[in-house]
Amino acid sequence: MNAPVYRKWQCIACGEIFDEALGSPADGIPPGTRLEDLPDDWLCPNCGALKASFILMED
Amino acid sequence: MSDLKIPTELVAPIFNPASYADRAKMEKMLAHLRHNYPLSIAEVPGYDPHWIVTKYKDVREITRQDNIFHSGDRSKTPASQIAEQMMRDYSGGKPHIFRTLVHMDPPDHTAHRDLVKENFMPQNIAALETSIREMARRHVDHMASLGTTCDFAGDIAMNYPLEVVCTLIGLPKEDHAIMLRLTQWFLSYADPDLCRPGSVLTDPEEQIKTWQIVYDEFKRYYGSVIKDRQACPRHDLASTIANGKIHGCPMDERSMISYFVIASTAGHDTTAATIANSMWTLATQPGLLARLKAEPALIPNFVEEAIRWTSPAMCFIRSAAEDYELSGRQIKKGDLLYISYLSANRDEEMFDTPYEFRLDRTPNRHIGFGYGAHICVGQHLARLEMRLLWEELIPRLESVEMAGEGKWQESEFVCGPKFVPIRFKMN
Repeated sequence: MNAPVYRKWQCIACGEIFDEALGSPADGIPPGTRLEDLPDDWLCPNCGALKASFILMED
Repeated sequence: MSDLKIPTELVAPIFNPASYADRAKMEKMLAHLRHNYPLSIAEVPGYDPHWIVTKYKDVREITRQDNIFHSGDRSKTPASQIAEQMMRDYSGGKPHIFRTLVHMDPPDHTAHRDLVKENFMPQNIAALETSIREMARRHVDHMASLGTTCDFAGDIAMNYPLEVVCTLIGLPKEDHAIMLRLTQWFLSYADPDLCRPGSVLTDPEEQIKTWQIVYDEFKRYYGSVIKDRQACPRHDLASTIANGKIHGCPMDERSMISYFVIASTAGHDTTAATIANSMWTLATQPGLLARLKAEPALIPNFVEEAIRWTSPAMCFIRSAAEDYELSGRQIKKGDLLYISYLSANRDEEMFDTPYEFRLDRTPNRHIGFGYGAHICVGQHLARLEMRLLWEELIPRLESVEMAGEGKWQESEFVCGPKFVPIRFKMN
């Protein structure tokens, strides 16, 4: 079975990176959490931008 | 609900640059405001009334709503009524002498920030690591050459980030000292050791007189840089700014000069303040140096906590563009709000043991770089600079202690240590 493919997203306002593989355990987001599974009112933890401000990072 | 109005004698020091030189007293006053007047009004003679915002959650709620809490309508730093009138006289009716990112609201802010935003994204900043590490190493070598004592603020902390940012802008080494001098005149206009020579610090008009002089000096200096980069662009920040277009049009002169001003001042002064205070902390907190030497992987935590600890930008002012209810208070359209980043970064509701310097503070959601769309565009550069300096210095630093009394600047806006005398051993 293939390992799940996780993606990285970047806040276009401040550059914060959300790595789905790592999550953010200290903020209560476990490793393996997809960006789309975060609540719609989730904000960039660094600058407070909306979830929609995160764009997919290219490899 | 606490009292709406803060006793004048309690809150007046917040508007006085000299108050900030006594850091312990300032922190105590802010704690008192946070506990007893968390969102209340200061009515200090000579100043318009200000809401004093000291709670972390209130600061974040305000600063992430640029459409409601404007940056461009009034002075962005505490200004007396006289100072605000002088700024309007000088700038043809505008509330600011400078027109930097700090002084703008969307959509102008967004358009101007977009000009340099990509340059400062972490993946692009990471590409600078090799060259910045080389600079860090040179400054560490310089410290070693000083023997066993130095003023770490003046000898190292002020010069290293200055070199980094001036190099990024594309300025020749011989001009770096000019940038430091103008930065100090601008941001430390009220400090007797750093202010412009000839300043009359008792004159209520001095701040604006100095800022006019600083603007004109920057304009004179950058006039030739702009011409040069427009004629022959290079791979530097000066070329990006000089050829920058906003909504397809060239930037107006005031915005362009101001862009260079903010890059040349805020681009190093806050980092210098944090580096200086980091060393002060290393010299006074037993065991901290030994732990970092044993666990260098903690250096990024050290940097992050030092930013929270220092909070070099003391405050910004916002004005309400509409009525708004905040923490049970009715903010009215036109009201001014004094945002205390230092207080927010000490808020007990957000940070456990906020008055302890802790390497294990994870996550460290301080707002030392601000919050919202105005968050410091250079934050990733600042973090990289600091990490590289400490990665180079800590392995070579065998011991450090204070060799005298440190001193904080007299500054109500950007404030850091101006004198950090240390005795040290290096290998």
